[in-house]
Amino acid sequence: MRSLWLQVAAVTAINLKSIGQRRWLSLSTVIAIALVVIVLLAFLAMANGFQRTIAGSGADDIAIVLRAGSQAEINSTVSRDQVRLIEDGPGIARGSDGKPLISPELYLVVDGIKRSTKTKANLPLRGIGEQGSELRKGITITAGRMFNRGSNEVVVGKALLQEFEGFDIGSTVSFGATRWNVVGVFEAGGSVFESEIWADLNVVQSLFNRNNIVQTVRARLTGPAALDGLKSYSDNDPRLKLDVKSEAAYFAEQASQTSDLIQKLGWPLAIAMALGAVAGALNTMYSSVAARATEIATLRAIGFGGFPAFVGTLAESLLLAVIGGLLGAAATYLIFDGVTASTLGGNFTQVVFDFKLSPWLIAEGVALALIVGLIGGLFPALRAARLPIVEGLYAN
Amino acid sequence: MNDFDLVRKNLFRRKLRASLMIVSILIAFMIFGVLAGFYRAFTAGEDAAAADRMITVNKINFTQPMPIAYFTRVRAVEGVRQVTFANWFGGYYQDPKNFIMALAIEPNTYFDVYRSEFEVPPEQLQAFMRDRGSAVVGESLAQKWGWKIGDRIPLNSNIFSQKSGGHTWDLTIAGIVKGKAEHVDTNFLLFQYPYFDETRSFGKDTIGWMILQTTSPENNDRVAKAIDAMFANSTAETSTDTEKAFGKAFAAQFGNIALIVLLVVGAAFITILMIVGNTMALSIRERTREIGVLKTLGFSGPRILKMVLGESVLLALLGGIPGLAIAALIAMALRTSLSNIAPAFAVSPTIALQGLALMIALGLITGIIPALNAMRLKIATALGRG
Repeated sequence: MRSLWLQVAAVTAINLKSIGQRRWLSLSTVIAIALVVIVLLAFLAMANGFQRTIAGSGADDIAIVLRAGSQAEINSTVSRDQVRLIEDGPGIARGSDGKPLISPELYLVVDGIKRSTKTKANLPLRGIGEQGSELRKGITITAGRMFNRGSNEVVVGKALLQEFEGFDIGSTVSFGATRWNVVGVFEAGGSVFESEIWADLNVVQSLFNRNNIVQTVRARLTGPAALDGLKSYSDNDPRLKLDVKSEAAYFAEQASQTSDLIQKLGWPLAIAMALGAVAGALNTMYSSVAARATEIATLRAIGFGGFPAFVGTLAESLLLAVIGGLLGAAATYLIFDGVTASTLGGNFTQVVFDFKLSPWLIAEGVALALIVGLIGGLFPALRAARLPIVEGLYAN
Repeated sequence: MNDFDLVRKNLFRRKLRASLMIVSILIAFMIFGVLAGFYRAFTAGEDAAAADRMITVNKINFTQPMPIAYFTRVRAVEGVRQVTFANWFGGYYQDPKNFIMALAIEPNTYFDVYRSEFEVPPEQLQAFMRDRGSAVVGESLAQKWGWKIGDRIPLNSNIFSQKSGGHTWDLTIAGIVKGKAEHVDTNFLLFQYPYFDETRSFGKDTIGWMILQTTSPENNDRVAKAIDAMFANSTAETSTDTEKAFGKAFAAQFGNIALIVLLVVGAAFITILMIVGNTMALSIRERTREIGVLKTLGFSGPRILKMVLGESVLLALLGGIPGLAIAALIAMALRTSLSNIAPAFAVSPTIALQGLALMIALGLITGIIPALNAMRLKIATALGRG
């Protein structure tokens, strides 16, 4: 047994050392595999970054109330009377002054100009109630100040400021006939709120002629468990009949569609390309076996078995694949990780997000590379193991 | 045996190797065909845009409404041939997942403005205009749900509610709209704005956007300026742009699809280029002695160059053409399921021609270095080697 492993080790070492003789062919296989991994990982990093931005936006103990069937904030309408009924609903936390911690909100789409392409894009303008910023975790004003209630001042999210023109502190932005002063920039822990513009609810309502209507109500619950109570309260009151969800569940729904689409595009492309790379790897490895035919036959003639030849060839293929996989992962990390992009999200407005690689994604990429290496090496390895000795010796 | 036979025999001397090359080229062109088809579908609106058509939207953003009174005022602007308007309905059928692109339209003018795209039999159009509660549906949407003329369908909205409290409008199908050209998307439902406006619970007397046709594309600028100036400093200022510019700006919002397509196709091509190029070089080097023999027999350098290039181009075509064919099949299979995001998803003749040009380019690029080497090979070196 021991001698078999010694044989395997010896043949593998010979194989690996001889890669240099086939450096161009081997290099092309490595690069082909690396490109496959780059394409896959770029798509996965995009889906992952999008998912993190949106899914990270919601909390379990915040309820979001929308009109039944509306699916997204932009489609929802909630009347003033309904807002009052929700204020008195069960499970809603109250502040030290006894007031319910809720924020009725109006969500409008306005135009902005994207810095990179100078094209128009849909941006969300959110009119928030008094408690609006307290109902979101980790909101900090990083520059300037919060808007004053009752004035036409806005604060903008950090990501929005980065991606779109004209929102620097002190500037005036006009949405149609209304003018707004940008007085502050806020951070929201990388969540989707950083892609929004916030203003006072009452001012937005009056300047956009939406006086008695809001779109959603956010409410702090006494705990995540209080959600069901609020749900059945809404279901049983014919005046309400609203959809009550936890903010976390709402955002998870919003994220799944787009990131699904990105992933569904990424995997088939990567697999199609991987098939191309398998053809390349097979080619390289068959050439490798052909180039070493005499050598393999000689080893067999002096008593080496077929198995070491098999393992040696497969090991060479797997090594090339691992190098390609890691190279691809490193390149993706250097090129794409942290790149900021934006696309239309579930609310028909731009969501700014970063490409984000994770160790798990890198593992997926390297795994794909290894599969390419395995398939690409398997058949040539079998040929090496079965090569008739006499034929091999006369190969050249 | 002519040169072509020789090329063919050379190519398939190592059957396994040739098949592998063909498979990888096939995959590259399959990716190219699918992505190019997808991209074309994505930008189809842009190509379909008529030069004399313009869109007027609320200046704040196209999702904001404007007063219906604007409609008659725009009609009076000099240089405007026809105006119509539409309102987004947020429609779905039975389940919110079954999104339907439904618009409430001005019934008398809509098909006049879109007459170069859509065709409705005159008697069906009349039936639609007569019955306030009726709708016309695009051919592909009708096909998707098996709807026929006379069917009564419940259309839900995820935005609007009726005064009576429900979210469902029952509509009778009065006609089926056909597209006049291949790229025209007919995945929509149109119903009467007057009926919609009367029954909805909020937003009364506002419209989503106006589509206008100028008397000539040269008037576009002047008409746009006149309209936007007319509503300047009102509560709903407008922004008027050509249909093409509007469509382009909208598509850009999804992120840079073109760049992604280019990157992926580029990556796939570089991969294939390397694999095929290397193999060609390898197979020519193996044949050095033979090339020497051919030269001895009197084959000229340029003739050998042509033969080697012919071999690599043949290889590219053998892989590429079936690859494009498979892409066309994939596009056909996915067409209905992707009809919402990418209508008219297909491998068009233009894409096929571009693909063909790419195949020839691929063949020439991968073959040129081995071919040059073969051409320059000295007989003595060739016969002395190996």
